[in-house]
Amino acid sequence: MSEHGHGPQGRHGHDHHGDEPGFWQKYVFSVDHKVIGIQYTITSLLFLFFGFCLMMIMRWQLAYPNSVVPVIGKYLGGAMASGGVLVGDGYNALGAMHGTIMVFLGIVPLGVGGFGNFVLPLQIGAPDMAFPRLNMASYWVYFLGGVVMLGSFFAPGGAAASGWTSYTPLAVTALSGQTWWLFGMVLLITSSLLGSVNFIVTTVQLRARGLSFFRLPFFVWAQFVTAFLLLLAFPPLEAAGVLQLMDRLAGTSFFMPSGLVVSGVPQTQYSGGGSPLLWQHLFWFLAHPEVYVLILPAMGIVAEVIANNTRKPLWGYKSLVYSVVFLGFMSFVVWAHHMFMTGMGTALSTFFQATTMIISVPSVIILTCLIISLYRASIRYTVPMLFALAFLPMFAIGGLTGLPLGLTASDIHLHDTYYVIGHFHYVVAPGTIFGLFAGIYYWFPKVTGRKMSDLLGKIHFWPSFIFINGIFFPMFFSGMAGVLRRQFDQTEQIHGAAAHGLTVMSSWSAWLLAVAQIPFIFNFFWSIWKGRKVTDNPWEATTLEWSAPSPPPHGNFATVPVVYCGPYEYSVPGQKTDFCPQHVALEA
Amino acid sequence: MDRIIDVVHVFMLLLFVGWGIFFVHCLRRYRQKPGHAATYQPVKAKVSKYVEVAVGIFEAILLLVFSMPVWAEYKSSPPPADQRMEVRVVGEQFQWDFHYAGKDGVFGKMDARLITASNPLGLRVDDPADPGADDIVTINEFHMPVGRPMYLRLTSKDVIHSFSIPTMRVKQDVIPGMEIPIWFTAVDGATAEELRRQMTETFPVEKASWYRLRHHVAAIDHMGKDGEVVLAQGADLGPTKADGDEKLEALAKTGVTELTMQPRVPLEVVCAQLCGNSHFKMKALLVTHDQAGFDAWIEEKSNPVEPSFEDF
Repeated sequence: MSEHGHGPQGRHGHDHHGDEPGFWQKYVFSVDHKVIGIQYTITSLLFLFFGFCLMMIMRWQLAYPNSVVPVIGKYLGGAMASGGVLVGDGYNALGAMHGTIMVFLGIVPLGVGGFGNFVLPLQIGAPDMAFPRLNMASYWVYFLGGVVMLGSFFAPGGAAASGWTSYTPLAVTALSGQTWWLFGMVLLITSSLLGSVNFIVTTVQLRARGLSFFRLPFFVWAQFVTAFLLLLAFPPLEAAGVLQLMDRLAGTSFFMPSGLVVSGVPQTQYSGGGSPLLWQHLFWFLAHPEVYVLILPAMGIVAEVIANNTRKPLWGYKSLVYSVVFLGFMSFVVWAHHMFMTGMGTALSTFFQATTMIISVPSVIILTCLIISLYRASIRYTVPMLFALAFLPMFAIGGLTGLPLGLTASDIHLHDTYYVIGHFHYVVAPGTIFGLFAGIYYWFPKVTGRKMSDLLGKIHFWPSFIFINGIFFPMFFSGMAGVLRRQFDQTEQIHGAAAHGLTVMSSWSAWLLAVAQIPFIFNFFWSIWKGRKVTDNPWEATTLEWSAPSPPPHGNFATVPVVYCGPYEYSVPGQKTDFCPQHVALEA
Repeated sequence: MDRIIDVVHVFMLLLFVGWGIFFVHCLRRYRQKPGHAATYQPVKAKVSKYVEVAVGIFEAILLLVFSMPVWAEYKSSPPPADQRMEVRVVGEQFQWDFHYAGKDGVFGKMDARLITASNPLGLRVDDPADPGADDIVTINEFHMPVGRPMYLRLTSKDVIHSFSIPTMRVKQDVIPGMEIPIWFTAVDGATAEELRRQMTETFPVEKASWYRLRHHVAAIDHMGKDGEVVLAQGADLGPTKADGDEKLEALAKTGVTELTMQPRVPLEVVCAQLCGNSHFKMKALLVTHDQAGFDAWIEEKSNPVEPSFEDF
């Protein structure tokens, strides 16, 4: 027996008793997946808050065009505002940076870097990620990318202002903020690539004994597919980003056609012959899979929380897995539905419309499975469950409103209107972000050993739910009324003026939504130190992370877990408790 | 096109309500309570399969019956050359240039070196023998005949714009280095007067806002209590928000309770693709003529050798 006790895992644990890391290695330049996960979570939550603040400034200009921005107007710099009133370039910079920050610095790092890093190794019974140093590098490259993005606000002429899509030639002829944006993007993509290989190898190689692929929690499946999307979709944009940098800095013309005349001046510094559409293809080849990079981790979290709080197995686990894998594949062949208005002919548009309709089917299956899981359940209305349940109708609205945009005939009218803004925000804001909130409330006890306050959680949930709908639902009506997106002052146009009341409603909802986050922020910090102490498995859950101590020590598990059953063995007939953890053999 | 938007939304609503009813039912019925446990065995629900198949079939119908024919007509069957009215449209930061061939029906050649503020396309305006001599170029003013197929050749001088007439459901990106044709026909009834009449609205003064009404003019004379005209027919609320607020206050004070307003110019060409800091201001007013009126306009504008605008 003693021979067996000195297996690889035993030595692993012993090594770390020998050299206790110092403060810097333990909390700052840590290679521990849990510390890195927490670093990612905190950093990305701060970026989400910052991106939200940018949007609140924009909403002032939209609701009350050309009036002084209250409170912070006087601090806005020269390129952003004049006399406290936002200017067109400032508004465009806020728009571009809001999108970039929310997507690349907020949600992706939170869903993948934060939750993926902290939870995935624990859920598969691994002591750490496969490549801990790569993991640390991934975080610090992300951090640097964030600093560069923030730094771009101080560039001459302000931050990038060509939209988060950075369409050429506008982006190539833009001021130097765009160069900063491109450098920042190259760093962020590099970070995601480093992370994605790590997730794939970890999931394939480090699963506990007995944890076959079809015993993996759905969250792990979602992260696994996400990692492949990151790995395969991000390199084209990294390449495109470098090409655009070359166009800006080295005088190449990858995206610049011949014969441009900007403000009456022929642009002879570009040799010409490039294609502006090439950029759009490269960009959307990344950016459509990107949508699923945003939503899948949240979907994984929602599935975990729903299984745990319905006290029954997820309905159609295998359908869910096949759907999410199929979704991943299909997400690579729908990108050009973002480009129907570029002059696409019938053949190409038919292909992309068909793939777009096909990709809606797995989404419908996933949603249907999750809803049927509620049938004959025993639902506990905990705070994470509230957010997870809210995710379902919100994601349904977001998904369904994609249909008229995916059909070219209806897209003609709705393209580039607020309908689009409403559609994708329903997917990523009340959809994804609510899923991520569910995850924060759900795994908080694992990270800290303490639970967040239920009362404050409910005070956070209900107003957030109401106001977030108050922001985005009116946008569908604005969009159908023909109000175009990215308008500094929509009332300049006759359609925009007619629907201005809806915009005011959205703006007030946005500011109230900010107020509704105060209980969360307070709850989060208060609970770290003062929250109620709970056991290692407060939610009576089945997956492996709950078999580790809270918070888990370096190396995670006291004994190496062995898995005996599927991930969601709740309410198994004939058992003493209504949950059978994966690492405990079922009683005969 | 609007019909497909309606059909899709009805379908979406049905699906959403169906899901919603089941969802709410489960949330109420299966709340955790003592003595009630969850059922381990999965339900054998065929319904979900039917729903998914139905969704698939409906989407196929939308695609094959509605969307593809509309798109094919929109993209693949241009009106014959002898019937259509051809106009070149050039987008630039931040204006639309409309280029008409003039009386001779031939577009003049362009040269980037000749571009000035008053000759935005670089036409050879000094040479009376050039086919461009009688060409008409208007800035931010789009004249078109109703009832006749329009054939627009779109291009851009600098960045990507998007040519959009929301009221007519026309939208097409305008891309530098490419010339993209689009075609459409304005229906006979779409004259400015008719649209203005249709878009006339009446609402209480206290609900009025300058933002909402900044492009509107009074449709009738608005009288105060004492019978004096406070807002004459054709007058607007003023160029700025401050003017508008003042005007509205004055109207309320003199006892006007209701405003009857209509758009000054009911049709606009706007830019739907972010093109820089004044993207939102990039719009052209659309002036519709009947065929005779349009011919007269061409005749009048073709005669001077200079382009049609002298105020630059």
